[in-house]
Amino acid sequence: MPPRLVENYNGDDSDSDVDIFGDFDAGVKGKGKGKGKAIDRGKKDKGKGKAKEQSYAWEASYTRSWDTVQEDEAGSLQGAVEDLIARGRRRRLLAPAAAIRRAIIRHLILLLDLSSAMMDRDMRPTRFDLMLQYAREFVTEWFDQNPLGQIGVVGMRAGIGERMGEMSGNPQEVLKAISERHKLEPTGEPSLQNAIEMARASMSHLPTHSSREIIIIFGSLTTCDPGNIHDTLAECVKDRIRVSVVALAAEMKICRELCDKTGGQFGVALNEGHFKDLLFELIPPPAQRALSTGPNARGGATAPADLMMMGFPTRLPDTSPPSLCVCHSQLKSEGFLCPRCGAKVCDVPTDCDICGLMIVSSPHLARSYHHLFPVKTYQAVRSLDDTPNASATCHACARPFKDAPQPMAGATGEGMSPLGRYRCPDCQNDFCAECDVFVHDVVHCCPGCGK
Amino acid sequence: MDAASHLGVVVDLSPTHWYLSSTRTQHNARPLSLKSFLSHLLVFLNSHIACKDENTLAVFGVLPGRSIMLYSSTSESSGNPLDKADANTYRPFKVLDATVMRTIAEHVENLGPSDLEIPGELVGALTKSLCHINRITTTSSAHANGQTASIDPRILILSVSPDQSLSYIPIMNSIFSAQKLRVTIDVCKVYGSESVFLQQAAHLTGGSYLHIDRADALLQYLTMSFLPPPGIRQLLSVPTQDKIDFRAACFCHKRIVDIGFVCSVCLSIFCQPVPVCSTCRTKFPIKTLQRLNAARPAVTTPTAAATPYIRSPASLPSSNAIKVGAVNGSQAAARNGLR
Amino acid sequence: MPSVNLNADPITDSEWSPHILLAFLQSQSQTALTRLYHKPSSCLSVFRLLRPLERQLIMNLLWLESTIPMSTMSAWVTQEGKKPYDDSLSTLARLHIIPKSTTKLALNATFRTSLRQAITGGGTTGSFGVPAEPDPQHPPPDIATLDAYALERWETILHYMVSSGTGQHPTKPSQEVLFLLQRSGLMTKTRGGVLQITSSGFQFLLHDPHAQLWELLLQFLHMAEERQMDLVEALSFLLMLSTMELGLAFATENLSPTQNAMLADLRNYGLIWQYDASARQFSPTRLATTLTSSSPPLPTSRNTGAGSHDQGFIVLETNYRLYAYTDNPLQIAVLNLFVTLKARFPNLVVGAITRESVKKALANGITADQIISYLTTYAHPQMRKNKPLLPVTVQDQIRLWELEKNRVKSQEGYLYTAFASQQDYEYVLDYAKKLDVVLWENPTKRCFFGSLDGHANIRGFIERRTAEKA
Repeated sequence: MPPRLVENYNGDDSDSDVDIFGDFDAGVKGKGKGKGKAIDRGKKDKGKGKAKEQSYAWEASYTRSWDTVQEDEAGSLQGAVEDLIARGRRRRLLAPAAAIRRAIIRHLILLLDLSSAMMDRDMRPTRFDLMLQYAREFVTEWFDQNPLGQIGVVGMRAGIGERMGEMSGNPQEVLKAISERHKLEPTGEPSLQNAIEMARASMSHLPTHSSREIIIIFGSLTTCDPGNIHDTLAECVKDRIRVSVVALAAEMKICRELCDKTGGQFGVALNEGHFKDLLFELIPPPAQRALSTGPNARGGATAPADLMMMGFPTRLPDTSPPSLCVCHSQLKSEGFLCPRCGAKVCDVPTDCDICGLMIVSSPHLARSYHHLFPVKTYQAVRSLDDTPNASATCHACARPFKDAPQPMAGATGEGMSPLGRYRCPDCQNDFCAECDVFVHDVVHCCPGCGK
Repeated sequence: MDAASHLGVVVDLSPTHWYLSSTRTQHNARPLSLKSFLSHLLVFLNSHIACKDENTLAVFGVLPGRSIMLYSSTSESSGNPLDKADANTYRPFKVLDATVMRTIAEHVENLGPSDLEIPGELVGALTKSLCHINRITTTSSAHANGQTASIDPRILILSVSPDQSLSYIPIMNSIFSAQKLRVTIDVCKVYGSESVFLQQAAHLTGGSYLHIDRADALLQYLTMSFLPPPGIRQLLSVPTQDKIDFRAACFCHKRIVDIGFVCSVCLSIFCQPVPVCSTCRTKFPIKTLQRLNAARPAVTTPTAAATPYIRSPASLPSSNAIKVGAVNGSQAAARNGLR
Repeated sequence: MPSVNLNADPITDSEWSPHILLAFLQSQSQTALTRLYHKPSSCLSVFRLLRPLERQLIMNLLWLESTIPMSTMSAWVTQEGKKPYDDSLSTLARLHIIPKSTTKLALNATFRTSLRQAITGGGTTGSFGVPAEPDPQHPPPDIATLDAYALERWETILHYMVSSGTGQHPTKPSQEVLFLLQRSGLMTKTRGGVLQITSSGFQFLLHDPHAQLWELLLQFLHMAEERQMDLVEALSFLLMLSTMELGLAFATENLSPTQNAMLADLRNYGLIWQYDASARQFSPTRLATTLTSSSPPLPTSRNTGAGSHDQGFIVLETNYRLYAYTDNPLQIAVLNLFVTLKARFPNLVVGAITRESVKKALANGITADQIISYLTTYAHPQMRKNKPLLPVTVQDQIRLWELEKNRVKSQEGYLYTAFASQQDYEYVLDYAKKLDVVLWENPTKRCFFGSLDGHANIRGFIERRTAEKA
């Protein structure tokens, strides 16, 4: 059986600030949420083309966010607020559960704009400081979800691209590269072309069928390039590099084109929270897709599937006699031994410096399994009529359920249960809304059926 | 530092293995029956509550094919009006002991003979206790205005059954979520062989793994190793595991491998190059197979194993060159493969 | 500037310092303590008051039948744990829980037996309180009633203290309570026979309810000694109360005469509830049942009017303005100690921290740290989002105001004058400077001032010198 693929590649992922309303239409029947709510846009917009028929946000009629909030009998807003929160959480879970092929072993170059435009204070404290802070959080979270991936850091300032950190699979090394603020002080004009070329060069040794990505955090409205940037774009497409841009200022034609052509995501941050959301949306492994454009694109059916040789190392205990490691030449007692050549490395996952074998520990592999075997989406229970002896408490955390259904304004079709019950389709156990989100977001394992 | 702590206890109540544990055999010189185990356990639980009035406790039982919550000090209904106050016992202890024993008795009685073959639902109990911790940490931080948000949660697993290879992925997922919640997982292996999964659980979450040699001293083991909250463990050392097996078992023969072959799509591990992935049915290119077969260290033959196998890096297939995606295969297929 | 360690949380600090009762227990004789340890409930309560490491050490030893060598236990201690471990051992030794031995470790046999019994249950000591037979005529009050009762009693005491001398006449607590307040030095009788709050009384008001309660109870225990009451009986009764379940009624029959006599006092403090003085059953209130735990907070820390906020009600701004969401007269009265109150609304008091108001508080013996810790403890939930919690300017200013008070520092010493010659003067001064005892010098008048501890040396030096000359 051939590998399952999403064959119909949809050109681009959506643009965040324009597609807000389309997003609501498709995902939830959002009863006209205000612009401020756009922060928690779901992932539903993936794979949707840029909606031509929709107006821009500023052209759309202004929705009065306070109209959606309704007081309960006692005149309290508590219920309505909780409802909104719960609905937002639920929405994330409604992402398609269909089989998608995901890139598990990722290589990413983080391209940071270090031009003088980053000193703008329209985001607090400055764009630059905010970017550094979010970039650090991003790296930590990224490695958590992509334990087998590697990140390199390139900065663009004063018209050139600067390599801040080599491609590395160790979060500490990447974080170190962006930890020292004074070394990254923004200055001059940015050059997209130079920086992308540098990023491309540092990924050139990777084979063409690997997952290669560039994420650009771009604050400037200009780029000062030595040549034709469209040539660079074509090269990226040829090398199957996926470019995603998070713009802090406004949409630029070339940035959108970079993303559109390479299959990346483009978004303009509306505010601090939205900036973080846009960035963190790029963390989960992207659905693997074949490029149908480009001169030497392969067909979808021959998308790379391969057998990889991996070594599972022996961990040396802290009490073992100290010896030199091959990666830093430091005398240490703890470490991991390459199973093939016996070289000692400090940390895994890595490639053995001596024999080139990929060394991983089994927990690293296991960390990625949840992307591959997700928990089935729980069904919202609408009434207890067909299950007379339903349990009175949440199956996971033993919290008692509400007795009477809570009337919810306009909540139909949103996957919300008026009883606060969500049922696993396999084991038929009921869970509360909080556990539902926790099980799907964190545990990735149903407490009822254990899978 | 003197903060209240939450303890989640997962008790393995597998009837088959408790029967084995309580019978005296050549290998089991100090039999431990479920009854005496429970009396040790209850004293340990009382000790946890005794240490601080605000300490909380949740006990989960692992039974064949299901998992149940035996007791939770946070739920309001824990007190039973039938328990008459006793002048000689501290009331919370009495409520705790009575509730645990009653729930166990209720559920054990419902077990039929057919249940004996079904393996215990360790994963269910573990995820339930994680959900429970998630609930109390989120609510406590919301209510206490961020002042006393740290309740220092930890989980103690008391295990008698061997590893279920089928539950490898769920257990690993639970471990990672425990890491995220900063929950320490302690493991006490009361009876039976070492558990590789639980060893990894303890190691990855910074807990301790202890295999009990003398079952009659169980209470002393529990008190010394698992009673101290993480804050105290910096001062009083608790046993840690030095040697952890980080090697993986291949999906095809369950053999522990040093160097394995991993499907790029679903990350299944095989001990030898295979043409088709048994989990997700992906076919691998014939060229890769030939190359890997050639590069494969011939550790199976004793002669090759005796001489260190080193090749020049140039002639090696650069294994990191093969970075590819993975298919979100159907779960049924995955399970078949894992079996 | 002292602002460096301002952010140290006073709450965590106080948690690490040993409990106030332990110091009292350590001053008791071994026989008295051994008698106390006969009751499982007392053992359990004392055990809970100990620090975490001490508790763990006791637990490690609890189930051992024989003594173990000291070295075995210290093998468990990590490098960083060495000092806390030694501290813990000495605390336990002073409480006579472990013997003062340097080689062997074991628990006091009485303590061990009782604590084992407390944890496993059983026995016939009845130390956790004998439940009363249900009385259809006088059913035990529900928890809300108990809380309201305890709160009312406790706040009466505090309110009386805070408004003494202000011309107001709040409800007087009972004579016994007044006597206790006077004995403890929190209040004192002025010439007119009117009770007036003292500076330690003001400090007392700013403590958290838990500490206040124990302070009074300790005073009560001291008084009990003088009243020829059996101290161990009294103490074990208090500790027993702390292990009782809120909302249950207990019988008075099994209490000793001393304990029966205490019932009246404890009723006055609001620790127990009885429907009348001769009732044969009593119900402990939340004040009593939380004696050995740090939370949940005593009902005192809640507001009577608005129950919505459990802890904080004070919002302090950088412009020294203070908003307190409370209608509790006691809290307003306490705030009035160091805040100039400007406006009062049904649920809100507005005021400002001014130089005058802080000076007034300082004059009453309240320290800047106490003001700051009070503001921290009762800060509004919204304030807790700030980092640091209180505005640094205000904190620093309060401390500076305190420093203003301390502009003159007195130091005892000796003035050396009437030197025969400038040479003599310089010779002696040189010597004194070497000793680093010179506080002030005036060469033209040939005199200098040396501190007290240098006097003996300087006098000896001068005498030797005059002797040499002579």
